[in-house]
Formats: sequence, C-alpha cells, structure tokens
Amino acid sequence: MSRRILIVDDESHIRHVLSLKLRNSGFIVDTAVDGEDALHQIAAMAPDLVITDLQMPYVSGVELCRVLAEEPAHADIPVIILTARGYALGEEAVGLTNVRQVVNKPFSPRTILEQVHRVLGTMFESQEQAA
Amino acid sequence: MQTLIRSILGGLALGTLALGVGLAMLLAADGMGLGGTLWWAVAGTCLAVTVIGVVSSLAMGRAIRSLSRELEHGGASRLVSGPRWLRSALRALNEHQLRHQQREVAWRTREQDLEIRARVSGDARMQAEAVLEVMDDAVIVCNTLLEVISTNRAAGSLLGFDPETAEGRPIAEIVKDPMLRRIITETLESGVDVEPRRGELMLADGATVEGNACEVVSACAVDRQGRASAVVTVLHDLSREREISQMKSEFVSKASHELRTPLSSMRAYVEMLVDGEARDEATRQEFYGIIQSETDRLARLVDNMLNISRIEAGIIEVDRDVVDIHDLVDRAVQTLEPHAREKDISLHTEIAPVGTMVFGDSDMLQQVIVNLLSNGIKYTPEGGRVTVQVDADTLTRSVHVAVSDTGLGIAPQDAEHVFEKFFRVENYKRVAKGTGLGLNLCRHIIETVHQGQIGLESTLGMGSRFWFSVPMGQVPARMAA
Repeated sequence: MSRRILIVDDESHIRHVLSLKLRNSGFIVDTAVDGEDALHQIAAMAPDLVITDLQMPYVSGVELCRVLAEEPAHADIPVIILTARGYALGEEAVGLTNVRQVVNKPFSPRTILEQVHRVLGTMFESQEQAA
Repeated sequence: MQTLIRSILGGLALGTLALGVGLAMLLAADGMGLGGTLWWAVAGTCLAVTVIGVVSSLAMGRAIRSLSRELEHGGASRLVSGPRWLRSALRALNEHQLRHQQREVAWRTREQDLEIRARVSGDARMQAEAVLEVMDDAVIVCNTLLEVISTNRAAGSLLGFDPETAEGRPIAEIVKDPMLRRIITETLESGVDVEPRRGELMLADGATVEGNACEVVSACAVDRQGRASAVVTVLHDLSREREISQMKSEFVSKASHELRTPLSSMRAYVEMLVDGEARDEATRQEFYGIIQSETDRLARLVDNMLNISRIEAGIIEVDRDVVDIHDLVDRAVQTLEPHAREKDISLHTEIAPVGTMVFGDSDMLQQVIVNLLSNGIKYTPEGGRVTVQVDADTLTRSVHVAVSDTGLGIAPQDAEHVFEKFFRVENYKRVAKGTGLGLNLCRHIIETVHQGQIGLESTLGMGSRFWFSVPMGQVPARMAA
C-alpha cells in the first residue's frame, strides 16, 4: 500500500524536486506552500508523513509541528524538518513535537528518501519493490 | 643709607666718649689737687687721649662711611676692602657676604624651579583633563577617602550624574550601581601590590541605560612613598559592540539562509540528473533551466551582498558622469518589456521633456530603476499596469523618479522595513522570489552614493509607489565643455 507524504515548502523548486524523487519511489505526494496551507491539507488527507521547511510565512515549520502535536488525530504523524538555518534546532523547539529528523539545506534528495524510508519503516518494502 | 647713619652715629659716639673720658680725667686730676708739672703731665695725657679718640673716631667714621658706600654701590655680589686695621672684621664680613650670596643664588634657583614646576603641573593637569574629556570611556578617579577627585563627561552620561559637580563628593553619592561601588572599594582595600581588577559588569541602578554591559578596569594610583593615593576606574561601554556583533551575526544567519535556498535547488536537481530521475528529455531540459535560473539567483545574491558591503565600507568605485535619467528609464523598460508582456502588464512612462540630467553613476542608477520596475512587474497581478514617471524639480535641483503599480500594496507595518536587509513582505513570498537585498541596495545607491532620497507610498490592496530623487549635481567644467 502506497504511503502518502505531504511536502511543505514556500520554494516551488524544492516542492517540485522532492515530489518527483518520492513519486519515482512509489509514494503518493501532496504539496503545500506554507504552514497554513499544510494544516488544511492534513485535515483533508491525513498523510503518513510530513516533510516541512522550517522558515515559512504565516505558520512556520515548528508552529505547524506544535499544532499537529496538540491535535490527537494528527499527533502521531511523523515529521521531517528541512532547514536552511545551518544549525541544529533547540530541544525546546522540537521536544514537544513529533519531529523525527532535521535535515540541513542544501540537502540531497537521496538522503531525504533514506530518511523517509527509515521514519516510515518502509525500507524493506522499497527493496522488495526494487526487486 | 641706614648703614651710613649708623656708622656716623657710631663714629660720633666714639669721639664723644673719648672726649668725655679726657675731660673726666682732667676734672679728676684737678679735684685731687695735683699741681705744677704733674698737673700738666696729666692734662697733656688727657688732651692726647682726647685728640687720639677724636681722630680715631673720625678715621673710623670715614672708614665705615666708605665701607657703607662700597656695600651700597657694590651690591651683595661684591666683596669689600678697607684699611688694614679693619682686615679681620672685613674678612668675617666678606665670608658672611659670600655665604649670603650663595644662599641667595640657591633661593632664586629654587624659586625658578618652583615656578616651572607650577606651570608644568598646571599644564599637565589641563592636558589630563582634556584627555579625560575626549575619551569615550567613562573614568572615575577617587581618593583614599573614596571621594571623587576627577571624572569625565562619558562617566556622567553612562552612570547618570553631572560631572561638573561631582568633584569632592563621596563615590556612594555618584555611583548608584552597587557592584561598581564594590569594585572600587575592593580595589582600594587590595592596595597597590595587586594587578588591576578587570571584569565585565551589567550596569543596573542609576545608569542611563540599565543593563548596559561594561568592561571595567580598576587600579590604585601610587604616590612617591609607594602607597595608594587614588583609585582609577575606567568603564568601557560594550553595548554598541554587542549591538554590532549581534547585527553581524543576524546578517550572517540571514545571508546563510538566503544563500542555501538557491544552492539547495541546484544541488537537488543536479543529483536528480546524476541519478537518472529525470526520465525524459523534457524533464531534463526543465531541470537544466531551473539549475541555470537558480545559479543566476545565487550570483545576483552574492553580487548584491558584495555591493552593499562595499558601499557600507566606502570602498565601492563610483564612476560619475553626466547621465540622462530619461535614457536609463527607456533602457530599463526595453529590458523588462518581455516580462511585463508575459503577465499581460502594460508599462507606461511619463517623462519630463527637459532637466532629467544628473551627475552620477550610470550603471548604479540603472540598477535602481531596473530593480524598482522589476519589483512592480513581479508583484502586480496579471492585467495590471506599471508606470514610470520622471520629473525635474528646478527648485531643489533634483530629478524625481517614481514607479507606480496596481499590485498587492504593502501594509504600513511592512512598509517601514522594506528597505532593510533580507526583509521580505510575507504575503509577497507566495507571489515571487527575491533576494531580500534589492531594495536595500537601491537605498544604498541612492542615499549613500548619490546623496539622494528613496521612499515608498502604499496602501494594502491598492498598489505601491516607490520613488527616489537624486540631486542634479554640479557637472565638472571639463565635462560640460
């Protein structure tokens, strides 16, 4: 069964390249342009994983994670954060959320794919698909 | 003169005394009833004694008068001479005179020395006060009773007291900050044998700006006996340095974020091509185009950062010449016309027929016009209108350029920040990409390089009007010819 992933980034190129990478690996991918847009999409589609940029207009990546953590229906959705800040996020920022990984920009799409498999536990499924 | 009178009186007194003795002897001989030859012998002896007394007193008076004259006319610097019978007295007098002369020379030398010292000390104090006044660091000098001896303007403004009335007042009245008072007291108690106390202090009570971080150095001044005579405390206000450091850090953080964004796209698309994820030619061509545009974006960003930094550091090369703003606007419209057409935006120009010449850097002014026009097109929805107006103001001798659009408009709280580095209007991020440096560079080019003005008038949802004005400037004679 294909897993659904939501990619949230205000940079269209990042949304585009990650979508293609994950779709090529068999995932169903939705995209959102910022945190606000993401919250609407999550309510409508309940993704298995959210990959979000940190610094976005209106609702930032950390705020998005907090809102998800406070909502029982979405509290279990794992999150991978992308950041161009160049340094690790503070414990207080991610400690209360469901953030599983923090990846620094510029990132490698291969690394993101590996992280997605690791977080979703789909590594085995993907190897089977490849075979 | 007094000496002369004294010597004459002395001579007369001696003569009178001799005369008196002679007469007394005559009367005594007469009274004793001596007669004949003996009486004459006694009378003759008395007369001789009287004559010798008178002659001696006259000679002595003359010698003393001559001596007095010598002393009066010769002054203190000259030794005196006189008759042989006065030699031993004169030797003593001359020795005394010599000692007197030596003492006088020593006194004069000492007096001159003291005068010089007083003058030097006065000059040194004035110089020290001048040094204190021009110092940006706060200085407080207090004596061993912890009373202020000297302070400066910087100390007054940092610690919130009047430096004019501080002298003589106890340190406890002047310095409200308990920690600083403790440092000064402990420095005095520690004495002269310890290294100066150094540390950082967060000023609290009484300081003009509470929470000002200061670097403090406090040490004892030593007198000639090696004892502590004063406590000198210097405070270096760190708040400006901290502010600059924070600004630098914020700049690096924002710049790093902005640089990483296009770099992320470039790296990701290149990797996708390497991994064969672009499975058809159309996708590959799309990827090449994205990589190219992101490379341009990165290069633009680096150029803008360097140009801003060069202007701020005052090291940018400005190539001034006579520039017609009219030509620059025409060229910018020509360059951006295709972009406007893509969005079905109409471009208009309203240019004054004359007086649009300025003396400035053509490339930089062109960059400003292109930037403002490009922003107008970027943030105006399809079917909108962008207008460039150029007016000559002969009264202020400046040329005004305004770029108006029918776009999204900017909220007042954002409008005051649009010319800051890396500031981006939140709702604009969805509409188009930007470096966040374009308008900041424009402001530097107009205000710093051309001594002009730049501004914005906007109403949210009603479009924006970005404008700048640059002085026409004085065209050098060789260029006007």
